[in-house]
Amino acid sequence: MLRYAAGRLLAALPVLLIVSLLSFGIVWIVPGDVAAEMAGPTATAEELARLRERLGLTRPWHEQLVGWYGALLQGDLGESILLRQGVAAAIVERLPVTLSLTFTALAIAFVAGTALGTLAAVRAGKAADRAAMGTALIGFSIPDFWLGLVFVYVFAVVLGWLPTGGYVPFATDPLGWARSMLLPAATLALAQMGLFARMTRAAMLEVLQQDYIRTARAKGMPGWIVVGKHALRNALIPVVTVAGIACGVLLGGAVVIESVFSLPGVGRLIVGAIQRRDYPVIQGGLLLTATIFVLVNLVVDLLYATLDPRIRHGRR
Amino acid sequence: MAGADGGAVAPAARRRRPPGALSRLVAHPSFRWGLLLFGAVALCGLLAAWLAPFDPLRNNFRTRFRPPDEVFWFGTDRFGRDILSRTLHGIQVSLRIGLGVAVLTALAGGAIGAVAGFFRRVDGPVMRLMDALMAFPAVLLAIALAAALGPSELNVIVALSIAYVPRAARVMRAGVLVVREFPFVEGARAIGASPARVLLRHVLPNAMAPLVVQQTYVFALAVLAEAVLSFLGVGPPPPTPTLGGIIADGRDFIQEAPWISLTPGVVIALVVLGLNLMGDGLRDALDPRLRTAIR
Repeated sequence: MLRYAAGRLLAALPVLLIVSLLSFGIVWIVPGDVAAEMAGPTATAEELARLRERLGLTRPWHEQLVGWYGALLQGDLGESILLRQGVAAAIVERLPVTLSLTFTALAIAFVAGTALGTLAAVRAGKAADRAAMGTALIGFSIPDFWLGLVFVYVFAVVLGWLPTGGYVPFATDPLGWARSMLLPAATLALAQMGLFARMTRAAMLEVLQQDYIRTARAKGMPGWIVVGKHALRNALIPVVTVAGIACGVLLGGAVVIESVFSLPGVGRLIVGAIQRRDYPVIQGGLLLTATIFVLVNLVVDLLYATLDPRIRHGRR
Repeated sequence: MAGADGGAVAPAARRRRPPGALSRLVAHPSFRWGLLLFGAVALCGLLAAWLAPFDPLRNNFRTRFRPPDEVFWFGTDRFGRDILSRTLHGIQVSLRIGLGVAVLTALAGGAIGAVAGFFRRVDGPVMRLMDALMAFPAVLLAIALAAALGPSELNVIVALSIAYVPRAARVMRAGVLVVREFPFVEGARAIGASPARVLLRHVLPNAMAPLVVQQTYVFALAVLAEAVLSFLGVGPPPPTPTLGGIIADGRDFIQEAPWISLTPGVVIALVVLGLNLMGDGLRDALDPRLRTAIR
């Protein structure tokens, strides 16, 4: 197991290296002068020169890169131009909001998706199957940010049941936190719920044909225990493996959902930085989300290997 | 678009063989409904210049914030512009970008995946690069790239293509890895065909089907992602009417004028639903093994 873990970690390193290089390199594809674009048309020559100095643009590219990695190893992601704050500090401050949103959405998507998929598989070919799969299909066809606006209109503006947006920390008011999370998390979860439902159905149909399921039924076990305990456990394996990938998609989706619901998270920080061309924040935000993605998938791989010994002893 | 390999056979041969991919496709209910949905919306977009009752760009302060009525079927926005006319023109932009991304990622991703799968020496480095690109959430990467490249329709296509190219590359590589082990490929090598010829003439045509399916889904994803980009203000620059842009216009007036954001969102959902249904149909028709496994 230790050898397998070390191997996976070693394989993740080059990916992380390329990720960091690409995150930094985003400034190189800006056509023309980055500093001029950031400072805006009203900037004086003196202001421009100062900004260039601060961004390190006066140095050759290889020195910029060495500087970036040197700072990175000390946990320093540079200074935000507009917030007058370190990028790392700005991100850490907003991370709880984004993580709350992402993981609440993941939980909703997983529970609702597997339930829907199981229902569809058990009633395969019947009306309930069509309804469940239709819901799944519509779920990942609707633009989530638009659905968020519809939810705000219906549940906040018309019915007045939930707030239109904003964030309440869990520590100050757990109920308020739940109320502030419900709409954005449900919105964000919808597409992944559809995908989870499809995967569960496919896996479940396969598992339900296995001999051990027939044996369980034959010895008189109630149908819901056969499905819910014996079949579901094995059917969930492929679904759990894509949970890591779903995490990445949800982190990306959080960017726009946070904007719709005015949640002060990392996503809104990045969108604000993009709109105001605050490149250090964009670089840091890209690096952070991609690193989280790589690490989460590493953890999923290791968990998977712990659960299923065939993986770690397989040909690798 | 579909690889109609089995559908174009002569009638005499068809009788002896099981139904080909094309006839399976046409008979597939998902594909039919998807094509109908997508086709209907796409046609409205293509004919926008004739169908739109008003100029999508002209401001008219006497008709600001008009709720839907018999003149303005879907209402007007804060500049008095007709939502229906803007939506119709927006469809055109969305489809142009979606198709552009689907084609560009198919070409680039297909080439990358084919080379990685066939020439094993470059496989490692190339796929690590694809892994790294895939580590960024696609929408976030596209937003950052589109912002850095500057606002234009072409840049949106390029940004989205970079974000979605790893998927195409992975699918193509997986296909090539399977097909290259078949005996007929060994046969081609044995009679002295060059590696390039083996790849282009023998491996690629037999490994294309999954990519065709995948690109239908990429088209759908690109339409959704373009709407996000336009919503956040890094899509094609104004005054170009975009579906995401119209939704953003209505966002600040959601209490007083909820109709502004309503129409374009429904249209996006219909386009994407149509494409996803077509993708499901293509998947079943081109890969009968998946059909039995999933349905």
